[in-house]
Amino acid sequence: MDDINVAVLRLRNVLIVSVPGDPDDHVITGLQDKILNSMMRYRAKGVILDLSTVDIVDSFFARTIIDTAQMINLMGGRTIIAGMLPSVAITATQLGLTFENIETCLNVDTAFTLMEQTG
Amino acid sequence: MPVTSEDWERRKRFVNFTEADAKLLKQAKSHMEKHVDEVVNTLYANWQQYPELKKFLNSPETVERLKVTQRGYFLDLFSGEYGESYLKGRMRIGHRHQQIGLDVRWYIGAFSNYVELVTPHLFKALSKDLDKLQGTLLALIKLINLDEELAILTYIAAREEVISQQHEEILELSTPVVQVWDGVVAAPIIGTLDSHRTQMFMERLLQAIVDTKSPVALVDITGVPAIDTATAQHLIDTINSVKLLGAQVVITGVSPAIAQTLVHLGIDLTGIMTRSSLADGIKVALDRLNLCIRPKGAA
Amino acid sequence: MVSEVAERNSLKISSEQDIVLVRKTVRDVCRDAGFGLTDVTRIVTAASELARNIYRYADHGTLTWNMVSDGMKSGLELIFADQGPGIEDVNMALQEGYTTARSMGMGLPGTKKLMDDMVIETKLGVGTKITIRKWVR
Repeated sequence: MDDINVAVLRLRNVLIVSVPGDPDDHVITGLQDKILNSMMRYRAKGVILDLSTVDIVDSFFARTIIDTAQMINLMGGRTIIAGMLPSVAITATQLGLTFENIETCLNVDTAFTLMEQTG
Repeated sequence: MPVTSEDWERRKRFVNFTEADAKLLKQAKSHMEKHVDEVVNTLYANWQQYPELKKFLNSPETVERLKVTQRGYFLDLFSGEYGESYLKGRMRIGHRHQQIGLDVRWYIGAFSNYVELVTPHLFKALSKDLDKLQGTLLALIKLINLDEELAILTYIAAREEVISQQHEEILELSTPVVQVWDGVVAAPIIGTLDSHRTQMFMERLLQAIVDTKSPVALVDITGVPAIDTATAQHLIDTINSVKLLGAQVVITGVSPAIAQTLVHLGIDLTGIMTRSSLADGIKVALDRLNLCIRPKGAA
Repeated sequence: MVSEVAERNSLKISSEQDIVLVRKTVRDVCRDAGFGLTDVTRIVTAASELARNIYRYADHGTLTWNMVSDGMKSGLELIFADQGPGIEDVNMALQEGYTTARSMGMGLPGTKKLMDDMVIETKLGVGTKITIRKWVR
């Protein structure tokens, strides 16, 4: 199921995923598979989801992100969402979406620093 | 405020402009067509005597063009058709006059010029039928009155547009977001937070956080006189949105009165940092950024 | 109540790809209508929710859109219609946290919050028509 065209980068044990701008449902679920497989393959300590090009997050997308974070957690990893757009943050809040238990950072830089800080 | 078809029909009913009136005006058309050029020329001759109007009639070509439009306007009065397309045409003309900056009084006065010039011709044409003459004259006066109403509405609508724009500007100006240090933005809120203002505030605050890459935002509510459930909800929404970005909000300026209100209202503020002064908020922010301020020369 | 007339301003929703097409189309329509970025995001998100509902619960349906006016302001109206099973209890569906078998349910409470107006017409066994509107500020 690694057929989706999204790059998962690895930097020092941390996976960085640039989530595409307006992915269809197939890419969203494919992304989950790809991330989890990469987690295992590289024994990563965590995943940074870079949402800086994502301009729409509906409930399906949000649900998948939350589920993926839970799965990463079960595999012993940590998830940080980085770079969410203001318009998405405002809409998600209004929609009642709480990305419970997922940390958030302004950008990949600070997310990486945070990830490194606490083992 | 565009006038709907329903409004227009209602206005006609109010001044009692009926189908019979429309018919009378239509019947007068053939008489009026003979005099239209004379009427239009007289109108412009009069208008050119006034500098406030003359400035719009600045070249012979312009005047000729305007006279053509004027003829159309004049003949429309006797068209017999006073429905939606008549309404739209009149609104367009009114809008145009307002746009070029013509004082509304000249515009209204011109209607009187029309009635003065048209009435003698009507009398001559219908002198043998006094009932018809009265009916046609009244129909014309009613229609002119309706046209005047539309003219006034267009000018009012333009004013309201200006007021609305100024309102937006005031909203913008009264929600400044400033960077007080590397990594700290502060946004004082003055006045009350309705949902529209909250929208604007949230967008500006979040954008400032992203632009300055600030992990801490101080939202100061010293200038908020009273807080109710709705305002508290707006603040909570703001805080949650900022959290999603990866930054932290500290609400500062929580006065004793507001503290009491929040507790009495049962607002759940667990997990939300608050301080009674902006200065204390800055201390929290610096702390979060692992910074501290100390006197020069101290170890 | 439900129509599948092919008008110029309408899209069929019958595949997963159509949900993406709905988002792209609504995004363009919103921009042309002069909505600000956050409102565009709200409207496209709401449209995505409703389009997905059609795909998930009704198998196929249509989206139709129009600019509307109330005499003073202009707005965008989106109509999602299908001939699916209908919604059994609309009030329940509009309450916070109502879910069906899959978590997140039909996302109707959230959609309602994002828009200015929402009207739901539904009949069991016949179909559903949801109209949402947002006014340009």
